Amino acid sequence: MKTDVAIIGGGPAGLAAAIEAKKHAKVTLIERNEELGGILQQCIHHGFGNFIFGEALTGPEYAEHFIEQMEGIDVMLNTTVLEIDKNKRMLLSSPDGVFEMEAKAIILAMGCRERTRTQIFIPGTRPAGIYTAGTAQRLINIEGVMLGKHVVILGSGDVGLIMARRFTLEGAKVEGVYEIMPKPGGLTRNIVQCLYDFDIPLHLSHTIVEIVGKRRVEGVFVAKVDENFKPIEETKRFVPCDTLILAVGLIPENELTKKIGIELDDITAGPVVDEGMETSIEGIFACGNVVHVHDLVDDVSFSAIIAGREAAKYANGRKIKRRKIKVKAGENVRYVVPQIINGRDMEEITFYFRVKKEMENVVTRLLVDGEVRKEKRELIVKPPEMVRLKVKGDLVMNANSISIEVKKVA
Amino acid sequence: MKVEKKVEKYARKKGWKVKARLEDGILYLEGEVPSYKEYVEIGRYAGKQKNVEGVVNRLKYKGKKEVKRKKGGNELIGEADVVIIGGGVTGCMIARELSKYKLDIILVEKAEDVACGATKANNAMVHTGIGEKMGTLKQKLCVEGHKMYEELSKQLDFPYEKNGMWIILTKDSFADMPIPSFLGNFIARFIIPRIILRRAKKLGIPMHIVKRKELLKEEPNVTSRALIAVYSPTYGVTSPYLFTIALAENAIDNGVKIMLETEVVDMITEGEEVKEVVTDKGRIKARYVINAAGIYADMVAEMAGAREYTIHPKKGSTLLFDKDYGNYIKHSMTILKFPRMEHYKGGGAMLTFERNIQLGPTLMEVEDREDTSVTAAEIKQIFSRFSLLLPNLPRKGVIAYFAGLRAATFTEDFIIRRAKKVRNFIHVAGIQSPGLAAAPAVAKMVVGLLKESGLEMVEKKDFNPYRKASVVIRELSVEERQKMVEKDARYGKVVCRCENVTEGEIVDAIHGKIGARNIDAIKRRTRAGMGRCQGSFCLPHVAKIISRETGIPLEEIKKNGNGSNLFIGKAKCLLEEENEN
Repeated sequence: MKTDVAIIGGGPAGLAAAIEAKKHAKVTLIERNEELGGILQQCIHHGFGNFIFGEALTGPEYAEHFIEQMEGIDVMLNTTVLEIDKNKRMLLSSPDGVFEMEAKAIILAMGCRERTRTQIFIPGTRPAGIYTAGTAQRLINIEGVMLGKHVVILGSGDVGLIMARRFTLEGAKVEGVYEIMPKPGGLTRNIVQCLYDFDIPLHLSHTIVEIVGKRRVEGVFVAKVDENFKPIEETKRFVPCDTLILAVGLIPENELTKKIGIELDDITAGPVVDEGMETSIEGIFACGNVVHVHDLVDDVSFSAIIAGREAAKYANGRKIKRRKIKVKAGENVRYVVPQIINGRDMEEITFYFRVKKEMENVVTRLLVDGEVRKEKRELIVKPPEMVRLKVKGDLVMNANSISIEVKKVA
Repeated sequence: MKVEKKVEKYARKKGWKVKARLEDGILYLEGEVPSYKEYVEIGRYAGKQKNVEGVVNRLKYKGKKEVKRKKGGNELIGEADVVIIGGGVTGCMIARELSKYKLDIILVEKAEDVACGATKANNAMVHTGIGEKMGTLKQKLCVEGHKMYEELSKQLDFPYEKNGMWIILTKDSFADMPIPSFLGNFIARFIIPRIILRRAKKLGIPMHIVKRKELLKEEPNVTSRALIAVYSPTYGVTSPYLFTIALAENAIDNGVKIMLETEVVDMITEGEEVKEVVTDKGRIKARYVINAAGIYADMVAEMAGAREYTIHPKKGSTLLFDKDYGNYIKHSMTILKFPRMEHYKGGGAMLTFERNIQLGPTLMEVEDREDTSVTAAEIKQIFSRFSLLLPNLPRKGVIAYFAGLRAATFTEDFIIRRAKKVRNFIHVAGIQSPGLAAAPAVAKMVVGLLKESGLEMVEKKDFNPYRKASVVIRELSVEERQKMVEKDARYGKVVCRCENVTEGEIVDAIHGKIGARNIDAIKRRTRAGMGRCQGSFCLPHVAKIISRETGIPLEEIKKNGNGSNLFIGKAKCLLEEENEN
């Protein structure tokens, strides 16, 4: 089989990329599950699409906006990419067979997976009743089963907060949300709407030090942590519960990316991309959470539109400059995406970045060849909330050095 | 001095009241000690004495829990020439070996699947025997058992590979000994490898010395503090559960009856003979009983009136790494460190046949026979011990950790013999490492013991030594894979993305001879859920497939055995409860 643009993943990133790419090229969308929409289908709460549609939609509604536009796209469901190489040849497996596919351009849109209890080394037993937040969400919202009566949630990232509310609405008692950091991990609006509105206690600077229970979770030991995140022994206490929900972070799913040999960013755990969302291998693009974990699906869709457009152009034979100018993460910036500016002819470029520490009254700045070329005031910046800086494309097109920094307003 | 006096004196010096009695080679301890720690200490001391074949430790201590036995069923549920208690690798291997003879055999296992105890939680090494104490029964059986694996794996179609093992000596090998470092390094380089080689020669195990330079060329991630290595090319690795399942399936094919979720709670004896094995499901008439009950072997022996040892569980915890690090090392490896802990080979970085690195296991005495928790201290200990071997292996590579319990007796060696006073009861106890490697030889030995005790054993003409494993789609060529999908479309649908397991394979596991009924049983058979996401993605799918194929409602699917329910009911069940109240 041959196609112009093959897109791997039918979640929000893959959908938006497909719709954009089909305007210019033949598109094949490969999705491993039985339906499109990815994780959106299980996100039955609202809050999606504020930026892109100007209204707060539920996950399935947001997905539907895109799924409606699939006409003309070759959608392959229940299909898994087994092998992939830098020549854009893939081996696919589906109930219809095992077959090869060759594409002119590929867009990686596999999303992310959740960190497990192992990755944060929670000691203890391995009973039933421990779920990552996303799995719990799927089980309740899609499979229609209830997981437990007394729930402890570790991690105050957005998925954890949403699930705290969801469990409460299902009649379970959420004993508490425990967060190792001194500040909450999720968006402020979710702290308010999911915890405070339901009187769910949030314990900051706390972690789980042991899981107890042989067959099913019987409880967890929690403890306060010191400034080095070490549990303080004297503060250890037992919290009885039958369910432990882990919302301890997301990891971009880059198993295929690694197979191809694409350069990865150590900090984002995603591929290094340029302003057109192209990876270190020509003609292979990436967008959405596979690149870095986003807070808002709207930004996922925006990145996908760029990838879709640029991939289609690549498939149609357009050549670009490859200046490979690194975007430096300057003061109080942990990482920036895109990591590379190649000098594509683009009207505007949005830099997405996260800060290292919370700061109030700041300016976020773009420096080109040592000079400030763009400034934006922010009342507050914090690590859980992604910061955007939109600039005109020609500002960086011919730059020799680029950096992004966050400075306190004097 | 008599053994009893010696043990009593040892206790007296420590201020404990202990009475010892030696009878027929078995040392019985009675009295009281302050805690479990001392209970183990004196037990171990007693076990080291000459001419002691077993230590029965009946010492009391504060907080000692008495195990309550379940009630037995009254109904007669079976009758057999041989009843095997325990469905671990040892019990299943014995069942398969005995199925070569014209015998009625029943194997009972309390868990919901075979291979659920120590078998599933060891590190899969088929040891050669070089690491065992010279002259022990376990060494002898390990050396013999290891040689039988190749043939067995061909007959029974389970994974087995001679992947080799490095025994590495480094500048840290003698760092904890009270000798100057130059001397330690000298011993490490020139003395120890020669001792190992001499032993290997005696045991007929091929081994050779590899110099530092060559070692580091082969294994660039090994510490630069390495001095020398001894390489064992025939060291093997298998999958303990796939092996055990293969044995159990082949035993079933040859007429063995396996009763799962059947717990032995008592025995009916008459004179010096066991007549019936009482389980929670009912009674089984037995001419001979084989005790392969692992961690509970002493309790089962007690039921038969043949308590000749006490089990003291020794926990071993292991960290498992992502397959991404599968080429980080070429072969499994261990670091020799002195002083060596008693009855502990020391663990290492062991490769599974799927090339996950396993770091560990630890060794820790625990009181609770179900305590398979991995503690923070153990995780720390594993990293600090094995960073001496692989200093740069990143922590983020760990995808799972697990613990198993070694069914150690105080004499520490395997106890495989006829009971002293019960004519038809055979002990296969104290099976700890290298129990997996030794299992084939253990089974042969049990055949001998049964013959000795008067069981007539006539070989079957129609014994079928072969068994075919279910298809593993990821191992097939593209063409073969395509053929399978044409046969059944479900072989095309990948359910577990991390380990690349298809729906068809999961369905096969459910409809196998010992059908998987829960998430962990599927995982052991297919690897679904065993990868880096640890089942986050595939769990809902696997649960649904089990439900669909077996008719068990989705909300009743379990992780493993009884009490491990994943769900409490359908969504909204709590709200409905609330409304009713």
